Amino acid sequence: MIEAQKLTRTFGAITAVSDLDLAVEKGEVFGFLGPNGAGKTTTIRMLAALIAPTSGSATVAGFRVGRENRSIRQNVGVLTETPGLYKRLSALDNLLFFARLYGVNSPEKQAERYLRLFELWDRRDQLAGGFSKGMRQKLALARALLHEPQVLFLDEPTAGLDPEAAKVVRDLIETLRTRERTIFLCTHNLDEAERLCDRVALFKTRLVALGRPSELKERMYGRRTVVRLLDPPAGIEEALDLPFIKRIERDDGALVISLTDPERENPILVKRLVELGAKVQSVSELDVRLEEMYLDVMEGDDAAD
Amino acid sequence: MRRIKVILVKEWRESARNKMILFGAIFLPLFMVAAALVMVYQGKGIDVPAAEVALFNTALMYFLILPAIIPLAIAAYSIIGEKEQGSLEPLLATPISDLELFLGKALASVIPSLIITWASFGLFIGVCILLLGGLPPHVLTPPWIAAIFGLTPLLSLFSVGVTMLVSSRASDARAAYQISSFAVIPAIVPLILYTSRKTLVSLWLIGLEAVVLVAAGAIVLYLAIKVFQREQILTRWK
Repeated sequence: MIEAQKLTRTFGAITAVSDLDLAVEKGEVFGFLGPNGAGKTTTIRMLAALIAPTSGSATVAGFRVGRENRSIRQNVGVLTETPGLYKRLSALDNLLFFARLYGVNSPEKQAERYLRLFELWDRRDQLAGGFSKGMRQKLALARALLHEPQVLFLDEPTAGLDPEAAKVVRDLIETLRTRERTIFLCTHNLDEAERLCDRVALFKTRLVALGRPSELKERMYGRRTVVRLLDPPAGIEEALDLPFIKRIERDDGALVISLTDPERENPILVKRLVELGAKVQSVSELDVRLEEMYLDVMEGDDAAD
Repeated sequence: MRRIKVILVKEWRESARNKMILFGAIFLPLFMVAAALVMVYQGKGIDVPAAEVALFNTALMYFLILPAIIPLAIAAYSIIGEKEQGSLEPLLATPISDLELFLGKALASVIPSLIITWASFGLFIGVCILLLGGLPPHVLTPPWIAAIFGLTPLLSLFSVGVTMLVSSRASDARAAYQISSFAVIPAIVPLILYTSRKTLVSLWLIGLEAVVLVAAGAIVLYLAIKVFQREQILTRWK
């Protein structure tokens, strides 16, 4: 649904996006993660046919960026970083205006549908300027969906929202993923990305890493089993001589053991520990948070630069 | 055409809720009509030809200032309002073309300014007939009619072009409004110069001003359309 090859954008001497290659499948929720100034918004603007790439090529919803820009804009929805609503217009008028610009068949019906879906129907005649941040964001999301786009670009959809409003927006995104819509989610909220995205790209002017969050974590850290022992015998690390163990570390009294295939290897590990006289209290898999991985990857990228 | 109409309707809905624009669109024309009435009342039957010329030329000038000044506020708020609300990017993300957007914004300022100017002129004529017992001399002559119906659209377009250019660089609607006020100059300078020659406005003067305005307007509108490109708006507008 989205494909980019060597997509690059410069502003004078500054390179905002460099040689971006990616492919996003239909129905996928794709997280595009990176720090402020990484070029995330510039990437969205290029893919939404708002600005031209300096070099490289991209297709979105089957249309080529730069050649079929109008068709791209007709088939994508964009939620910008700020809601960008007309404060002097009512919620309904805001939606009707955009529905008519997109040439939606029955603007009134479609506006009503989304106002009801996002629980704003009762406030349809209220000026958007009087809305809370969360309501504005919901209305902006409704606006981005009015014309039933195949691809939805969401730029920091929960930025600046209180936790409750952010949850409402996240829940809405969750409901959208079930509708065969491709969602390109730009965020630096990593918990959000981990919760919502099928795959993520770590991006800082160029692509740093790409894959499913679990794959990326596994690729970077391997899989690790945490074993808590009661009174761990001295020298237990050295005594654990199983061939599949890659590394053993101590963390707050627990053993953190790097393995390849925990499902197969954990029972053998536990059996061996018992044989060595250890009293096993608990065995669990260490789950690295995406945030931790993100920071490690970005630090590594800084060091490489 | 459909999208231009959609922009027009939206702009007018927003303008109708903007007190500054409403104030300018209602009270300024009334003030100009009153001022023009005073001029022609004083000029009617005056024995000093130079004074008569000055008074009637000034009366006409009020109706030429209107189409230049009314669109300033509408156009300035139309662009700066979008900037302040952050609504330009969602708008540019729609399939609307740059030209459609430009025309929608420009016509949203030009059309009401012309309607208000012509309505004000109609009011002026009506009040003249009612209060003065008939039309004063030199009013509704060919030069006046040419000026009211021929020059006003050109003045309005020129004014809108200047305001759009200024607004693309400004971040404050009042500042843009004040700077763009220079667009009124083509409406008043020729008449002041002509009045100094102690001659009533002629078709020749109106024709000359129209030629100058077409040339200046074409340059200003060309530049305004040039800065009204998606890429420019998103990356260069402040």
